[in-house]
Amino acid sequence: MRDFFSTKSAKILIATLAVILVLAILGATGNPWVSSAFSFITNGLSSVTANLTEGNKDYETLKSENEKLKQEIADLRTQLVDYDDVKSENSRLWKYYKLKKSNPDYEILPASVIRRDTNEAFYSFTIDAGTSSGISVQDPVITENGVIGFVNSVNATSSKVTTILSPDMQAGAVDKKTGESGIVTGSAVLSDENRTAFTKIDANAKVKKGDIIVTSGIGGVYPADLILGKITDIRYDDYDAAKYAVIKPFEDIKAVTDVVVLTDFKNKGEIKKGAD
Amino acid sequence: MDRRYTVFRYLAYSLELLLLFILQTTPRLLPEIFGSKPLLLLPAAITISFFESEIPSMFFGLASGLLLDFGYSDNVGFFTITLTLSCFFIGLIFRDYLVISFLNATVFIVMFCTSLLILHFMFSYVFAGKGDVFYYFSHHIISRIVYTFVCGILLYFLNKFLYKNLRDS
Repeated sequence: MRDFFSTKSAKILIATLAVILVLAILGATGNPWVSSAFSFITNGLSSVTANLTEGNKDYETLKSENEKLKQEIADLRTQLVDYDDVKSENSRLWKYYKLKKSNPDYEILPASVIRRDTNEAFYSFTIDAGTSSGISVQDPVITENGVIGFVNSVNATSSKVTTILSPDMQAGAVDKKTGESGIVTGSAVLSDENRTAFTKIDANAKVKKGDIIVTSGIGGVYPADLILGKITDIRYDDYDAAKYAVIKPFEDIKAVTDVVVLTDFKNKGEIKKGAD
Repeated sequence: MDRRYTVFRYLAYSLELLLLFILQTTPRLLPEIFGSKPLLLLPAAITISFFESEIPSMFFGLASGLLLDFGYSDNVGFFTITLTLSCFFIGLIFRDYLVISFLNATVFIVMFCTSLLILHFMFSYVFAGKGDVFYYFSHHIISRIVYTFVCGILLYFLNKFLYKNLRDS
């Protein structure tokens, strides 16, 4: 063993590991220059390849998407009848160009998905904008169909987005119809079906299928009234029998390619009274 | 001494790693099988180490680890450290103690892909308390290990081809 450590190879290995350790510590303590330098090198390539594959969908996929969209439109129309109040406000919200108009306090930044991590459980992705564009950690990420997630980490030219399907997502939410409040968070089982969960709701809560769940705005991370999804099922936890609702986001989180980052909005970072 | 072919070979390995990184991270490029995509850089670094001595192996392991870590967490971490160490020792073992054969390669690809992916699963998922551990392991990790292994066999033949055809006499 002593002979091994006196070899030239072992000395090079130890020196390399020492450098890695220093870089790891620098990164862990929030120093962004390592990741920024790396992103600078790889983002150009990722942008090119992501753009090349953007329209790469076969006929069957497009057909099934079209059918789903038609069904979705029909569902939304039905709900619109019931939720006159919410629907008109929401349908305006879903369009970027109207988003800013209806929410003058929103600072919005469009971005494209350039990478998806193959080794991550909850479909997180990287977008092509970072601190140089004004993005910071915890900024909400949305599309015209609702909340997608939040910025988990950021460097100069790119940002990692944790999706609404992840257990790391903890968004204060309310049922727009009943006013019941809770937390929207993900799980592995639900994420496979592009679903998330409306948890921490009262055992006697009157939430039901078809209800629209929106952000509460409490906590200052998300503005109020951003759509999270609609309830598709009511279930009880296997372990503690707590009631929760399964939510289907209006966007296919696994396939989203273009998003908008809300870099600023009214009451950002302010915790409202009554927050947990 | 003319080391032209060695330089070309290293360039070819570098290009291979870059292409695999793009293939692995570009949305909609690789098909999902049972909800998983392979980690191509993992077997790529391991199979390069079969043919190279410990120091070049270590650096290719380091490069692969950095690409894997930055693709995942924007930070130097698990794969950088484990692949640097693993590739160093694989390079050492195949230089001094083992002959390069398909059987040996298969055993090493299975052993390292399985152990590193399970270790990563433990650190990034189980210890992080993300829940549904058994479900996630059975529905994603097992298929990812198998998919990565199958790609590893193909990468073994690719790197064997590069080594044989880009070698100084």
